[in-house]
Amino acid sequence: MHLLKRILSVIPVVFGVLLLTFLLIHLVPGDPVEVMLGESASLSDSAALREELGLNQPLIVQFGQYLNKLAHGDLGHSIHTKTPISELIQARYPATVKLAFVALCLGLLIGVPMGIYAALHAGHWQDFVITIISVRFSAMPAFWLGPLLMLLFAVWLGWLPVSGMESHASVVLPALTLGFGLSAILTRMTRTSLLEVLNDDFIRTARAKGLSERTVILRHALRAALLPIITIVGLQMGSLLAGTVITETIFSWDGIGRLLVESIEKRDYPVTQACVLIVALSYVLINLVTDILYQVADPRMRHA
Amino acid sequence: MRIFMIAVISLLLGCSPSPKQIVIPAIHMAIAQVPLNLDPRYATDAASERVNRLLYQRLVEFDVRYQVVPSLADWQMVTPLHYRFTLKKTAVFHDGTSLSAHDVKATYDSLLALRDAPHRAEFAHIGRIEVHDNATVSFFLSKEDPHFVEKLIIGILPHTQLAQGHDFSHAPIGSGPVKFVCWQSALTLARIADGRYIVLTEVKDPTVRVLKLVRGEVDLLQGDLPPELVKYLQTKPEITVNTNQGTNFSYLGINMQDPILSDINVRKAIAHAIDRQAIIQQVMVDSTRLAGAILPPEHYAGNARLAPYAYRPQYAKQLLQQAGVQLPLKLVYKTSTDAQRVRFATILQAQMAPAGIDLDIRSLDWGTFFEDVKQGHFQLYGLTWVGIQTPEIYLKAFGSQYMPPQGFNRGRFQDATLDALLVNESWPEVTQRIHHQLPYIPLWYEGQFAAYRQTIKHYLPASDGNWDYLATVE
Repeated sequence: MHLLKRILSVIPVVFGVLLLTFLLIHLVPGDPVEVMLGESASLSDSAALREELGLNQPLIVQFGQYLNKLAHGDLGHSIHTKTPISELIQARYPATVKLAFVALCLGLLIGVPMGIYAALHAGHWQDFVITIISVRFSAMPAFWLGPLLMLLFAVWLGWLPVSGMESHASVVLPALTLGFGLSAILTRMTRTSLLEVLNDDFIRTARAKGLSERTVILRHALRAALLPIITIVGLQMGSLLAGTVITETIFSWDGIGRLLVESIEKRDYPVTQACVLIVALSYVLINLVTDILYQVADPRMRHA
Repeated sequence: MRIFMIAVISLLLGCSPSPKQIVIPAIHMAIAQVPLNLDPRYATDAASERVNRLLYQRLVEFDVRYQVVPSLADWQMVTPLHYRFTLKKTAVFHDGTSLSAHDVKATYDSLLALRDAPHRAEFAHIGRIEVHDNATVSFFLSKEDPHFVEKLIIGILPHTQLAQGHDFSHAPIGSGPVKFVCWQSALTLARIADGRYIVLTEVKDPTVRVLKLVRGEVDLLQGDLPPELVKYLQTKPEITVNTNQGTNFSYLGINMQDPILSDINVRKAIAHAIDRQAIIQQVMVDSTRLAGAILPPEHYAGNARLAPYAYRPQYAKQLLQQAGVQLPLKLVYKTSTDAQRVRFATILQAQMAPAGIDLDIRSLDWGTFFEDVKQGHFQLYGLTWVGIQTPEIYLKAFGSQYMPPQGFNRGRFQDATLDALLVNESWPEVTQRIHHQLPYIPLWYEGQFAAYRQTIKHYLPASDGNWDYLATVE
């Protein structure tokens, strides 16, 4: 029941996003007809095309037409390339999902073990070193870390391609660029969360029962410390799926974030609108999945 | 085993080159912006125009002095309203059909029929097109246009494919020296002469383009790099950097409706407050030269005799005082977010300060910036005219009747004397008048450069930045 309510609550959110995006795009300076016809077009040609595209209609009518098309799965065409937008999204979104997934895996693989290690050595030099590393990584912008990784792994060592999407190896550097930042946040969060749990009575009980330290940490403490980590992972995955513009641009990764920014720069309104819709849906979906994971991680949430 | 490897490579590439074509190594070029549309009727961006020059042939071309010369066809002006074109060479489309006068007619007819084609307005006065025979076609105009022939640079498309509504935007079929192969993550073309592949990959970030060249992932870069990266490449023994004089005109645009900037003394003061020579020497690519008019001195409508405005900040300050301006004069300068553009803005800001001009830099995303420029929401802005070849630009950029949305007179310049000179097409006087009135402050023609690895023998960048040399380079 809770899940059904949660799913139904998505509908007004998506509608709100659609309405807001539509209105904002129409507030931005620029005229799609002028973008299409250029500055030499005659006023009569511009007026004729505006009428043909329905841009002379009141805003509410245009929004209704947009919703109607959307309901039929028609996202429209790019003003510049004339490509159906659904094709553009189909081409770009899987790339973003792939990058986000690999970056998240790397972030988890690096961040959670480091967080556990730091928590277990809290106050010692190991904790201090990990804290410095994680603060460093979280403070490194992608436009700096990305080229550094390129220099090291592509130009000097020659192990990986500089950029592009030609091979499976191409995903490593952009995923590392994103994953390092994510791992830094996860390290800090895992450490803090675990430290809070490690002094709880149930951990003391588990140790008193003679369970191995490994079991105490991984099966009892970590599970209890998982909720804030899931929250962070959910939020980060949402922003990764929304497209990481800078990383995608630096690494020539044809993802949704790059498509969105390019469409804004070129005033390709239908593409911008579709991208924002996809990004919003991604966020909503990830939030939904996060909610479900909460209930899996903590059975008390099912009855809350 | 070898065939298996070729098949695997083909699958990985996503295109289907024949084994013969794979033997010759492809030319990999990294570009800042991928073409938006390969249909010549729609293409307006520089990358599309450059690729389309390789894919299609046009009726006419321009020589080194930018005089229009026959390409596919020779022409005769029968009357000022009737131009007859005769195809002077046999050309074959990449689908194997021969190019004929029917294709010429179909191309321009289809352009006129498209409501959303940006080039349509230029040909609005074509009344009708008649085919006499396979090699001869006539254009009948509804209004005299002395520059009509210069406009016939739209790539010719096959009429059979046009009739079928073929998608030239994504699967172009031309008759140029290079044919389309596929367009996935990269745009792949193949040269007709030797089958050599040309792979154009979009890499937005200039540093990454340079790293890809250094690593050997690409063979060639042309233009679109900040000078410090060009200088870095010049230190690499495995990279050759060739420069050439450019023709793309950079300028400061001025809002002539602004109460302060409408005073010619203020505009002159700004011109004298910029040390263009120092900027060219310090932060520009080699072969960059001072600009006078939009069209370069070697152009038949250019003017080599325009005296440059020297850097004289104290004189500039005097001019401002004579104009009754309270110092420091605060001016808003709008530019895009491009790093090089922002850098120029900060240099201009520093140079203008001793002249008593306090430049307030507004760096805006391209769409907002360009919209502000078109709407006249600016005092000063910086832009570059790219690939301009005909003197009609003087009319459209400065003619009183060509203010947006009817033309490019974005500074809203109105000058009856210039309008009269433009009608007479007396270019030396036109350029002199513009130079004197300063609706634009001319900056420079940015030098062109190409950086390439030893896999390429010799590549000379074209003055307007086109990629024609890809069709022949070894």
